[in-house]
Amino acid sequence: MRSTTGTRLAKGVVGLVAALATLMAAGPAVYGQARVTLQVAIAADVNVVEVHRNFLGVAFNKNHPNVTVHAVGTGTGEAASRAIYTKLKAQADAGRRNWDIDVALVSMRYASQMVKENLLYRYVPQMQFAQYVIGPDTVRAFGVDVKGFVVPMFKNQIAIAYNPQFVSRPPRSFAELESWVRANPRRFGYNGIKGGVSGIGFVMAWVYYKTGRYELFTQGPFDKANDGIIRSAIEQLRDFNRNVVITSGNAGTLDALNRGEIWMGAVWVDQLVAWKNEGRMNPEITPVLIAPGLPIYPLYLTVPREAANRDWAAKYIDFVANPQIQAKVIVEQFGWYPGIDPNRVMPLVSPTAKGLLFKGVTPEDLARYSQQMPIGEYYDAILLAYEEIVR
Amino acid sequence: MPRVRPVEQLLWWMAAVPATAVILVGFGVPLLQSLTASLVREGHLTLANYALVYRLYGQDVAYTVLVATAGLTLTFGAGIPLAGYLRLHHAGAIEFLLKVPLFVPFVVVGHAMRIFLAPRGTLLTVLHAMGLVSADASLGFGHGWLGLAVALAWKHLALIVLLLMGAFRAVDESYLEAARGFGASTLRQIWAVLVPMAAPSIALAAVLALTSMLASFSIPLMMSRGSGPQMLMIDLYYRFGQHGDFGVASAIGVVSYLLASGAAYYYLRAVSR
Repeated sequence: MRSTTGTRLAKGVVGLVAALATLMAAGPAVYGQARVTLQVAIAADVNVVEVHRNFLGVAFNKNHPNVTVHAVGTGTGEAASRAIYTKLKAQADAGRRNWDIDVALVSMRYASQMVKENLLYRYVPQMQFAQYVIGPDTVRAFGVDVKGFVVPMFKNQIAIAYNPQFVSRPPRSFAELESWVRANPRRFGYNGIKGGVSGIGFVMAWVYYKTGRYELFTQGPFDKANDGIIRSAIEQLRDFNRNVVITSGNAGTLDALNRGEIWMGAVWVDQLVAWKNEGRMNPEITPVLIAPGLPIYPLYLTVPREAANRDWAAKYIDFVANPQIQAKVIVEQFGWYPGIDPNRVMPLVSPTAKGLLFKGVTPEDLARYSQQMPIGEYYDAILLAYEEIVR
Repeated sequence: MPRVRPVEQLLWWMAAVPATAVILVGFGVPLLQSLTASLVREGHLTLANYALVYRLYGQDVAYTVLVATAGLTLTFGAGIPLAGYLRLHHAGAIEFLLKVPLFVPFVVVGHAMRIFLAPRGTLLTVLHAMGLVSADASLGFGHGWLGLAVALAWKHLALIVLLLMGAFRAVDESYLEAARGFGASTLRQIWAVLVPMAAPSIALAAVLALTSMLASFSIPLMMSRGSGPQMLMIDLYYRFGQHGDFGVASAIGVVSYLLASGAAYYYLRAVSR
């Protein structure tokens, strides 16, 4: 009895292996192309990894059956982008050909550094949707000319979220925010500079507002002589902070808003939308953009200079930049702002999704009040001043 | 002392090689790497990294020592009487409850404490419902040094009590009987008999807890705020995560080694006696 089962099992296994071998051998013949595994490294939260793994990758594979998209996350925050940068730099220094990452989704900061160090491939010109890759952040980032090397997967705006239950008229400018904070001590929160970029963005916006030198900080040139104006802006921030709650991390701000500990706070719009969609957030909390503005911080899709599958990588990014995909996946499903020209994407978005996306922050607000991050040297100088003066 | 034959000696040496290699590769090499990285800035040998640590994080070094010491005091303040009581009286339920923190990850403790101690958090909401505090009351220590010390103490209590109970059980019953014969209370038995006789083990447990608290990362990350003094590991993470500044991050690491090595020295002296 047992022996027959055993024989049957063995026969089955042999049959299966044979069938698989035939399929694998026939694979290229069936599709007329070699099989490709596209390695996609994601320096962002789990939800972004899931988008590539379960939506974009699967859809791309339907169009190109010979290409399998393999997405891995490297963590969150700047450290995640650094991990990708370190890996690519090591391969470049070792003089390797065929690097093992085909597509890397990295922060603005590291994308600009990789362009500077010649680690990226200029793939945008070969894209079908190249003309939709627009906006100042696709031209310069941290003072580096990145045109042709980057496509934002989506745009991520830092905004001031408020709870209408306690705030009847939200501030429209930093000056109004200052007087509101004076009148309502410890009811505004942001996360400082050690708990995520929403706090860093708030600090940068504060420096732009206090110095009025937005062009200088975002376009350069860098001059150490400007330390004085940075320091005086940060000293004023230290006084402002006395009436503010410094939260722990991006999520900490949302958490404090939810508990009613604070009534207003600096947040990522996409995180706010995502938490609302998951039912983890008081649905009343609304974002606003205030004058002169707050930074937007895109995550860039890039292709490493010696990626093993460079052309497929460019095709994949082209697919992500397709206005249809941007409308259905990026905007409707995940509540992000489109990474490419919004005028090409928004007409394709359902009215409901539009309402959700632009609740509190209109497209006009975005056009007027979205700022860039400063160039690298000023960015570091501002953070250093904050560490020394504000603590 | 019988003489060990050379062959046997060689065998003992061989047996020690794998473990020693693991220590060298897993700890020695990274230690040397961080030491050298902390002394190099822009390709030159310099103390600039340490100067920056002093300028930006000097206060945080003191804060880290303060939090770890406070956490240690709380842990032993609660742990010694508890372990002593459990040594003298059998209480299965308490013993079980004590072991709970052993199985709760640090991150979970950090998050739970953050929610528990926060303004409008669990504790204050309950107190408010009982009419004891106003809706906007604050404990004042939820995310300060004391809140951190409380969380660290709660997390370390189980391990410390287990270690202490082991040490107390090694104390011979006859001493305790003699103390009871003279009418010593439970507290008196703990204080006058158990603690002095288990002193070396208590000191070792303290060393273990202190080094673990100095190196704590996830609890401070969850509980502390983005400003004011920070635990050193947060600064270390910030330095390399946000700035990619391995020089200063390594210097912070070396400072942490120095803080912990005082305790480690005592530990080694005690175990190799």
